[in-house]
Amino acid sequence: MQPRHPEPILHVDMDAFYASVEQRDDPELKGQPVVVGGAGGRGVVAAASYEARRFGIHSAMPMVRARRLCPGLVIVANRFDRYREVSRQVMAILADIPPLVEPLSLDEAFLDVGGAVRLFGEPPEIGELIRTRVREEVELPCSVGVGPTKSVAKLLSDRAKPDGLVHWPAGEVVARLRPLPVSDLWGAGPRTVERLESFGFRTVGQLADAELRTLQRVVGEALGGQLHQLARGIDPRRVTPSEPARSISGERTFDHDVDDPAELERQVLKLSETVGRRLRASGVAGRTITLKVRFDTFETVTRSSTLPAPTDRTRDVATIALDLLAGLRLERARVRLLGVGVSNLGEGDGARQLTLDTAAEEGPSPAVAARLADPRWERVERIADSVAERFQGVGVSYAALLDDQDDPAEVAPRREDRGAHDHTSTSDQREEPDP
Amino acid sequence: MKLRAERTEFADAVSWATRTVGARVTLPALSGVLLEAVDGRLTCQATDLEVAAEISIPVEIDEPGRVLLPGRLLAQLVARFPNAPVNLEGDADRVEITCGRATFHVRGMQVEDFPTLAAPTEDAAQGVLKADAFARLVSQVARAASTDDGRPVLTGVQLDASDGMLTAAATDSYRLAVRSVAFDQAVDGVALVPARSLQEAAKAAGEVGGNVTVVLEEGQVSFLFGDRRLTTKLIEGSFPNYRALLPDAHETTVVVDRAGLSEALQRVAIVAMGQANTPVTLHFGDGSVDLQATNQEMGDAAEALPAEIDGEGLSISFNPAFLLAGLDATGTEQIRIELRDGLKPAVLKPEADGDDERIDDLTYLLMPMRVS
Repeated sequence: MQPRHPEPILHVDMDAFYASVEQRDDPELKGQPVVVGGAGGRGVVAAASYEARRFGIHSAMPMVRARRLCPGLVIVANRFDRYREVSRQVMAILADIPPLVEPLSLDEAFLDVGGAVRLFGEPPEIGELIRTRVREEVELPCSVGVGPTKSVAKLLSDRAKPDGLVHWPAGEVVARLRPLPVSDLWGAGPRTVERLESFGFRTVGQLADAELRTLQRVVGEALGGQLHQLARGIDPRRVTPSEPARSISGERTFDHDVDDPAELERQVLKLSETVGRRLRASGVAGRTITLKVRFDTFETVTRSSTLPAPTDRTRDVATIALDLLAGLRLERARVRLLGVGVSNLGEGDGARQLTLDTAAEEGPSPAVAARLADPRWERVERIADSVAERFQGVGVSYAALLDDQDDPAEVAPRREDRGAHDHTSTSDQREEPDP
Repeated sequence: MKLRAERTEFADAVSWATRTVGARVTLPALSGVLLEAVDGRLTCQATDLEVAAEISIPVEIDEPGRVLLPGRLLAQLVARFPNAPVNLEGDADRVEITCGRATFHVRGMQVEDFPTLAAPTEDAAQGVLKADAFARLVSQVARAASTDDGRPVLTGVQLDASDGMLTAAATDSYRLAVRSVAFDQAVDGVALVPARSLQEAAKAAGEVGGNVTVVLEEGQVSFLFGDRRLTTKLIEGSFPNYRALLPDAHETTVVVDRAGLSEALQRVAIVAMGQANTPVTLHFGDGSVDLQATNQEMGDAAEALPAEIDGEGLSISFNPAFLLAGLDATGTEQIRIELRDGLKPAVLKPEADGDDERIDDLTYLLMPMRVS
C-alpha cells in the first residue's frame, strides 16, 4: 500500500461560471460588467462577472439593486441548458485525471488525486494541469485549492480566485488557519458567525483554542463539534464520487406576488410536474414531500408530509403538495415564492411495494392518500416523460397547465441539496426570475 | 364515601380499569380512575377518550360516594398492599386508604372533569362468542391494519357480524387479513374499530377467558367480560370493500411447511433488513421454493426448500416482514399459497393436515413488490 499523500484534495471551482460562459460565447461582453439573471422586477443575480463584482454586485442580489450599483450593467438571461453542457465538458476533463471526482454543482467539484500522483505529479501540478486544460479546451477560467482536507481545499480555491491556484502543505495548515476569520470555515454561515462573534470568537485560532463544550453551548452540539475540528484542520469527510441527491426540488419566484388560490394551485401542479419528471429521470423516488411558501413579507413557511412508500409520480407529489397548500389556509395571502421538494430519497426504479386498490369505497374528500393509489398514473407519466424527451418543448401535461404561456424550463432546478454543510453554491441558481 | 374491599379484588379492579391510563395524558382527568360506590358494588373506570375500561366488584359500603383518584399512583399502591382488607374513606377532595398497618392519603381530582363514555344501553344488540377464539381472531387480523394516521380508516379493523358469524378484516393497502368465527349467540351489525383498542380487548379476553359479549351500537362497540367492560369509539368513514380485493382465481397453488419457510425467510431476510424496501424473491417451481435476497451494500443470500407446487412455476417478490406476518398468522403446520403472477396479490391460507383438522377460515392477501 502506498502511503496516503498528505494533501491529496483538490477543489476545482469555475470562476463566475454562468457569467464567464456568457462572456466567452459573446466576445462583446468581455471586459464588461455582466450579470446573469432575470431583468424583471423580481430578478435575482445568478452570477456576476468579476467586472461586475467590482461594483459590489454578487450573486443572489436583487437585480434592482445591482442595476443601481452599476448603471452600465449588462444583464443576460440565463441559459441553463448551455451551462449544463459546458459543465459536462469540464467534468469530463476532471474525470480524465484522478480516480475520485465528486461534483458539487454545475461549476465545482472535489477531487482526491492521491492515487494519481505517480502518473501526473504532485497535487499542485495536477491542479495546474487541470487549469490549463480547462482554459485551453473550454476557454474558461477556474480556480483550484489544494490541501489535506475538503474544507481546506474549498477555502483555498476561494482564495485563489480569480483564475489561480493556492496550495497549503499539510504541516502548515493549522498555523495558517489560525488568523483567518471564522466565516472562512465551511459550515459557518452568517448566523453562526454572528453568534460566534457575539461570544468573542473572531478567528479560527480562537475556535481551535476554545473548549469543545463551550463551543457546543454556543452553536449547538453538532455544529460546535464540527467547527472545533475544522478549526484544527481536521475534516474526516472523504471525496465520494457521485453522491446521490438527498432531495430534488423546484421553486419559483413570481414576478408579481400571487394571491389567487387557483393560480397558486396551478403553480404547485407545475412545480410538482418538474420535480416528478426529474425524480423519474434520476431514477429515484422519495417519501417526504415538502411545500415551501414565501410571503411578500419574506416570511417563509415549509410544510411536509411523509408517505408510507416512496414515490416518483407527479400525481402523488402534486396531490400531497396541493393538500399541504390547502392546509396553510392562505386566505389570499400574498405569495412571493413557491417551492415543491421531494426528499427521503431511495432508488426509484428498484423494488416497489405494490398496493391494493383500497380507495374504492372511500368518499371523495377526506383521504388524500386514497387518491394516490391508482397505478395507471404511473404509465401515463412515463409516457408523458418520453413524449417530452422526444419532442422537446411540446410535452404532455395537465390540462390545467395548458394555457400557461411560461416556458417550462423556467422552474429553477435545485439538485443535490447535500445537507447543512454545503453552502457552496454561490453561483448555483436559487431563485428563478422571469425573463 | 366509606367502604371496605377485598385486597385482591380491589387490586385487580384498579389494574383492569387503569389499563387505558397512559404515562402522558392530554387532560388531567384522563390520568384518573373514577371510583363509584353504590348499592354494594364499587365501579372503577378510566378512559383515554378512545377506549373506556370499567369493572365492578362487590364491596361493603358504609357510605356511598364518588371520587376521582390518580390512576397510576393508585395502581402502584394497591399492587404492593399487604394481604389485608382495604378501607377507603373520605370525600371527593381527599381519600384515606388503609390496608393492614399502612395508611395513605390521596388527593382527589375534580369528579366533574371525568369524561364518561356512554355505557351500552340495556336493549342494544349483543353477540356472544368464546373469549379465546375472539383473542385469536384479533391477533391474526389486526396485524394487517395500518399504523399510519394519514388514512384513519385503515388503522381500524372492520367487524362484520352477520349470519351467525363474526368477520374481522384489516388492511394497510399492502396486505389484507380476513377471518370469520362463529358466534355462540349471533348478532348483526358492522363496526370499524381502532386496531389498538381491539387488541386491548383481545388482551383482556385472553386474561379473563370465558365468553365475550360484543355490543354493537351507533358510534361505539363494547366488549363485556362478566363484570368487566371495554367500550371503544368507532372510526368514522367507510372501510374499503375488501371482498372485491380477494382474487377469484389463481394459476399456481403451493403447499409448503410453514415453519421451514418462515425460518428460511428470516435467514435470507437478514440480508434484506436494515435497508428498507429490500424484497425477498421467491421462485416456485420444480418441487421447491427458492428464496433469494440481494442487498447491494451487504451481499446476497439464497435458500431452497421442498414444496408441493401445482401449476406453472413463477417468481414473486415480497417485503419479508409482511410475508412473515402472514406466515405467522396462519398457524397451521402446512400453509397454502395461491398465486396468479408475480405482480398480482398472493393469498396465504392455513392448510388442513389430514381431513379432520379444523382450520381457521383465514385469508391473508399480500401484494408483491415490483422488482425491476
